[in-house]
Amino acid sequence: MNALFQQVYDFVEERIGLKTLEAKLMKEPIKGGSRWAYVFGSVLLFIFIMQAITGMLLMFYYIPSADHAYASTQFIIHEVDYGWYILSYHFWGSSAMVVMVFAHMSQVFLWGAYKKPREMVWLVGLALFGLVMAFGFTGYLLPWDQRAYWATTVGVEIMDKTPVIGDFLARFLKGGPTPGQMTLSRFFVIHVMILPGALMGLAGLHLFLFRSAGPAGPFRGTPDELKAKTDFFFPRQVWKDIMAMGVVFLIISTLALIEPVQLLEQATPDPGDYHPEPEWYFLFLFQLLRWKVFSGEFGQFLGAIAIPGLFMLLLVALPFIDRNPERNIFKRPIALLCWAVVMIGITVLTVSAILNREFLD
Amino acid sequence: MTPSPEKTPSVKLAWAVSWSAFWTGFPLKLIVALLLLAAGINPWEGGGLIALLLVSIPIDIWALGLTARTVFLERLGLDIDAPVGFTLWWQGAVLGGLVLGISYYAVSGAVDVGKKVAAGIIGLIKKVFPHFPIAEQITVELLLWTIPVTILALVLLLIWLKLFGWCIKRLIASSGTTSSASYFERVRQWDSARVPDDVGLMITSFGAAMVLVTIAFWMVLPVTTPHPHQDYQMPEVSKPAKPMKPEDALKKTENSLAKAEAILASLEDAKSKESKKPERKGK
Amino acid sequence: MMEHMGLQPKIKSTVRCLDGPIGEVSHVIADPLTLEVSHIVVKSNGTERQVPVETIRSADENTVELSCKSAQVPEFPAFVRADFLSSKEVEIPHLEDRIHAEPGEIFVPFPELERSCARRTFFTGFTTLMGVLIGFPFVWPVLQYVMKPMYAPFDNRWWKIGNTSKIKQEDIGVQFTFKKSFRDSVLQREEDKNNWVVKASPATLKQIYQHGDITFTDNVGNVVWVNRATVPYVAYSGKCPHLGCGYKWRSHKTRGQVFLCPCHLSIYDVAGTVLDGPAPRPLDVLPIKISPAGEIEVIDIEFKAGKREQVRIA
Repeated sequence: MNALFQQVYDFVEERIGLKTLEAKLMKEPIKGGSRWAYVFGSVLLFIFIMQAITGMLLMFYYIPSADHAYASTQFIIHEVDYGWYILSYHFWGSSAMVVMVFAHMSQVFLWGAYKKPREMVWLVGLALFGLVMAFGFTGYLLPWDQRAYWATTVGVEIMDKTPVIGDFLARFLKGGPTPGQMTLSRFFVIHVMILPGALMGLAGLHLFLFRSAGPAGPFRGTPDELKAKTDFFFPRQVWKDIMAMGVVFLIISTLALIEPVQLLEQATPDPGDYHPEPEWYFLFLFQLLRWKVFSGEFGQFLGAIAIPGLFMLLLVALPFIDRNPERNIFKRPIALLCWAVVMIGITVLTVSAILNREFLD
Repeated sequence: MTPSPEKTPSVKLAWAVSWSAFWTGFPLKLIVALLLLAAGINPWEGGGLIALLLVSIPIDIWALGLTARTVFLERLGLDIDAPVGFTLWWQGAVLGGLVLGISYYAVSGAVDVGKKVAAGIIGLIKKVFPHFPIAEQITVELLLWTIPVTILALVLLLIWLKLFGWCIKRLIASSGTTSSASYFERVRQWDSARVPDDVGLMITSFGAAMVLVTIAFWMVLPVTTPHPHQDYQMPEVSKPAKPMKPEDALKKTENSLAKAEAILASLEDAKSKESKKPERKGK
Repeated sequence: MMEHMGLQPKIKSTVRCLDGPIGEVSHVIADPLTLEVSHIVVKSNGTERQVPVETIRSADENTVELSCKSAQVPEFPAFVRADFLSSKEVEIPHLEDRIHAEPGEIFVPFPELERSCARRTFFTGFTTLMGVLIGFPFVWPVLQYVMKPMYAPFDNRWWKIGNTSKIKQEDIGVQFTFKKSFRDSVLQREEDKNNWVVKASPATLKQIYQHGDITFTDNVGNVVWVNRATVPYVAYSGKCPHLGCGYKWRSHKTRGQVFLCPCHLSIYDVAGTVLDGPAPRPLDVLPIKISPAGEIEVIDIEFKAGKREQVRIA
């Protein structure tokens, strides 16, 4: 058996140079040693793979038609063995993805890892952030219940306010002037074909760029300390990555058990008693739009398009504005303050949106 | 460049130990919580909570021992000759219980007062601006009472860290000996502390334990959703048909067939009689 | 003293001490953090030694001048290959862009933490184990999930497919189509199904029942129905036992009226016996019931195609 394995290994080695490939993939010395702080990227990859697997499994039973989407989702929840668990895992996995994207971006920001020579890694990462948000937005419609229908209606109306392309974009997504079967078809294709393809391509590019530029390493420590702790990517960093993946797997499973997916009524253009609300990671933006400052046509444009757009633009421009090579976050007070303000702002607005519910009943 | 234990702030020391100990024990506790949840037991209350807390004790002692020794060795260059995990665990637990108890009353009191004060301030603002919009009001009110409450909670956390840090320092002072090893050798030492003597045995037993836990998870995980939709109509499950007696059924068929044949024969008879009479009817 | 930053000693250049040549540069050793040359490997009298760059007084195209005497050279540590990694064996971005060492090699020190064998074995083993186990909790639920509709219990409902009065003659195949309605996951669907019914002559009947009564069972083996030779009507499943095509009643040039499958040209006589072609077994007989009024009822059983023996699948 071992001899056979060796023969197969030698055959492949001779043709593609497995040893070099393995050395290049695994034996990357990590400056200052492996760290738990570096696990977020790998964990994101893991969550994505799990989303892909659970997503494919859901498509075994899901029917993307306005007549059957709701019934087939209910069928998965109530009748297929463990269907509720797989759907709930997929649902909570999407939230975990968003949380982990925020953690990953925060880590890169606080470590100053977006600075030269890693600007391109940061830019591709921002595009990936956009894709993750798009995943959440398109996936939300697919169960075709009231929650899905109304979040999408509002979301598309927001996009409609984009200057120049807004109207086109909204009609493109809806597949017409009003939401219906064409909307569901388009969201389905975007969610299960276009976005996964784009994400796989960009994630590959992200990794390639990261490997080309090399990891940034810790932002402090004497050369001797860094050298003493240096080890290879494999096995220790991989071990940490896998442990973190295990924890994330456990957390998502726990959430799926605490709060399994439960659909509302089937989507209809009459909201009934339901108060439309987007997925929780869009709540802060949703709450922002309730402010008086953002009322009226201009206010709406300001809150829904201009402010988020400018914020994204700022993130894109960040490595080019912040050219100071200092990476230690404790020596970058403005950066630390900005990060804290954004995080606290998002938290406060999200909680406000939840508190706002009681004013609606 | 090793800072002396006396000069290291106790809060920093306590944070370094407790933060990494928390994450070291967390996955194991999570496995227990997940199993309880899958079995339909709420791990946050009643028996579930007690089970979870009991399981947490050995996990926490182990995690505290491992991470505290690492922190001492790497950052302070100290070897400790004492049951580090157990000592720190009971001291931390007593302090934690004390501070948590105080925090519960302090924070909930502060929340009540804060909410009242915030409502009062909002009332005042509404007198000046009668059209103060609701969405802004919610956020302002939230900020008004959460900022002081958060500060209070942080202060209480700092107090716990400070006290826990003192415990750690006392432990160091009583049983710590300065390690003669270089920084590099110390890193190697604490790194090797994580490697078991018998690697094969450790990996096999851990793997086997994980497989058993997974099988237990499969056994308790509900097959269909624990929270069904109120309006969902489950399709009537086709009950297994009562075992039929083939002999009866056969007799029945034979009877009906005999009848059918008789009818058919009589029909054919009638037909042939009819066709004989008017021989060339069509033309 | 010269500037050491960015020093690029040429491989094969002669190494001279203050008192004369001692050997040549065979490799360079780089610092993986700064990507600068930290040592040169000097090959002298067959032994390779690590000489720190600080010792280099000057370097040009062909020679490297050291600031020590040749007697001091043996004091430099010997170059032990196992303590180093070639740039081909690790991934250090930009190292090879910064330092050129052909025809020699660039070496970097083997990380101290990676030297302990037990440690590496442990983490490698643990990582592999966790990698295997991480998806393990999903295995059983996913298997059950995908298997849900695969082993549905057999449908033993009787379907009225038509009346015997449609059959005018003995020993010819008559097609009976009927609409079968059923729940297909969340859909309530209706399908056109087709069976063949033969009014068998005593000879044909004898051929069909040559092994006695025909018994039909459900998934757990309970008898659902028994066909007996006393009933002269025989229903055949419309599915060819070869590979599941739909066969027809056709006249054959030499064999007369036969059941003929257009896919692979299996030919069956009116008793369902294979006359020619690849079919592994005769046509499948279905449970049949005839009402006094001549209404034909069948159970729409489906058997696995391509097997010698009948295996019920639906």
